[in-house]
Amino acid sequence: MTEEKILLDHGSGGKVSHALFSDMILPLFENPELSKQDDGATLDIDGTKLAFSTDSYVVDPIFFPGGNIGDLAVNGTINDIAMCGAIPRFISVGLIIEEGLPVKTLKTILESMARAAQKAGVRIVTGDTKVVPQGKADKIFINTSGIGVIPPHTDVSGCNAVPGDKIIVSGTIADHGIAVLSSREGLQFDSNIQTDSAPLNKMVQSLVQSDCDVHVLRDPTRGGLGTTLNEIAAQSRVGMKIDELSLPIRGAVRGTCELLGFDPLYIANEGKLIAFVPERDAQKALEIIQQDEFGKEAMIIGDVTREDPGSVFLHTAIGGVRIIDMLTGDQLPRIC
Amino acid sequence: MSLKYIEEYRDALLARGLVKKIHLVSKKNLRLMEVCGTHTTSIFRHGIRSVLPEGITLLSGPGCPVCVTAQRDMDAFVAFARVKNVIVTTFGDLMRVPGSRSTLAREKASGADVRIVYSISDALAIARENKAKEVVFCAVGFETTIPTIAAGILMGIKEKLDNFSIYSAHKLTPPALAALMETEGVSIDGFILPGHVSVITGTRAYQDTFEKYDIPSVIAGFEPVDILTAILRLIQQNEAGAPALENAYARAVSDAGNEKAKQIMNQVFEICDATWRGIGQIPSSGMQLKQAFKKFDAAIKFGMDMPDVPEPKGCACGEILMGLKTPYDCALYKTKCTPMTPVGPCMVSSEGSCAAFYRYS
Repeated sequence: MTEEKILLDHGSGGKVSHALFSDMILPLFENPELSKQDDGATLDIDGTKLAFSTDSYVVDPIFFPGGNIGDLAVNGTINDIAMCGAIPRFISVGLIIEEGLPVKTLKTILESMARAAQKAGVRIVTGDTKVVPQGKADKIFINTSGIGVIPPHTDVSGCNAVPGDKIIVSGTIADHGIAVLSSREGLQFDSNIQTDSAPLNKMVQSLVQSDCDVHVLRDPTRGGLGTTLNEIAAQSRVGMKIDELSLPIRGAVRGTCELLGFDPLYIANEGKLIAFVPERDAQKALEIIQQDEFGKEAMIIGDVTREDPGSVFLHTAIGGVRIIDMLTGDQLPRIC
Repeated sequence: MSLKYIEEYRDALLARGLVKKIHLVSKKNLRLMEVCGTHTTSIFRHGIRSVLPEGITLLSGPGCPVCVTAQRDMDAFVAFARVKNVIVTTFGDLMRVPGSRSTLAREKASGADVRIVYSISDALAIARENKAKEVVFCAVGFETTIPTIAAGILMGIKEKLDNFSIYSAHKLTPPALAALMETEGVSIDGFILPGHVSVITGTRAYQDTFEKYDIPSVIAGFEPVDILTAILRLIQQNEAGAPALENAYARAVSDAGNEKAKQIMNQVFEICDATWRGIGQIPSSGMQLKQAFKKFDAAIKFGMDMPDVPEPKGCACGEILMGLKTPYDCALYKTKCTPMTPVGPCMVSSEGSCAAFYRYS
């Protein structure tokens, strides 16, 4: 840690966040479950394999096109559990509310949480509510944790990618980040882009219960697809080659990114997964994902390679090649 | 610009055709400089370097406003953040640029009220809502940005916003090109001229520089096809020994530029000398508030006269901006200087050449 104080960069999900985790958090808590650095921990309790995960939500604004902080918090933890190959079952909810929040607003958020849990088939079984004085939090922060059961013979981890695997993304990227940005104070612009926040547990269940040999599942949230691919490349010590022309990106999202100087590869998603499967299973896995209501625009976007372990390369539309690095700092808009 | 328009210009086949043509006509070793930071980013993002013939070297010029902001100006921004009751408003890119001792991001973490805005109108809105506080806007940018800042000042007068001021570290493009050509050791065979800046200035703004130095110059847009077209034309001019000032971005740039924007800019600002980071002082390359608008000058309002300070030892940002070095030639690159711990501004801005090299190559 070179900084004396925590900066916003430490929460970006990119390189600085990773450094905070590896330099300070991991050494203090060191254990085999945490060291795997997956979206959730995989636990073995007397032969039963469980997935356990937690996430906190501080999105601003709390309401954005297509969703709000409530359904986001439920779907996010469901997805983190699902990415361990598990079937999410139970969720906890911790609310930190700023004094003065309209009760009506809280009710709307809680109703969305209830609906999201019901849709995904999970139960919210425990929780906690705290209220802090005005200005000590921003409207509402939500923490959710959850557990799920990993079916026997399932071994999904970011460490399992091998050369020859095909990489599938379950739909268009960068929708969530741009939807939130479009409603952020000081940057309101008209767009019909909605968050992609969605539960992916049913998609994952269909995948792991098929005879496809799923190696890796991951939801590219904060830090975007680019950062997530880098994490897996490092965990599995493999290289990757991504084809720019096959990346699904909505026209409006691409256009907004152009205007603001963002790279869609680093913009957050909240209802997408990437799956790594051997080439022989790729077509079948793609079809399973496409049959799910949240996977209709899934595409095979690239391959895992033996060369350049730890690096991700993009083969660009014009026939060039460049590196996709992990996000460094928050993406900032261009100024000229 | 409609999205379809962007898609069309990203037409991969068209781009691949241009690449083939470039390989056919390219014979000489050439050093071409893209002047604009947005070009630098686009060149990296689309992997343009990787498709060019070996003899074609692209240099990233002094066209990222953050990268050319002098250390003393950064120190001034930090100093404003430390004044009680001041809200500093800034474009996001400046947050992590190191001044002599601190950054705006660190000041914010220490409790200063520093807010990222996307335009001067956001800063004006903050001033309206915080009448009991002073709002200072860190004004950096080129001809593209300056007219919007001028319009903001006029709006401030209309609304009698007495709690609003700016610190102008604005820069002008053509004088920098001339200064580059005058610098010993600089060797450039052609300029890819900035698209956005030229929308305001028009093609004519480059006429003097072009005539004086007889250097191939092509104004380009930002899509891969735009940039490849400019590169092709620069190679053709060099191979034919026939330098020209061409506009390859005619869908947006005219000969005269945007008269109204220029008129607002010249109503509020006047030309002054300016210090460019790493390059030094370039005569007539900056813009300061005219006498009638001095009450909006944050430096005067707060009596802030920052001393000139030496740039960090070993940082080659200046030589990189002039095409004398590449980031690989800088001893700090990827060692002491990374996007997480930047020493020079070229590593901070999303459009800085060191950051672009770090991210994409």
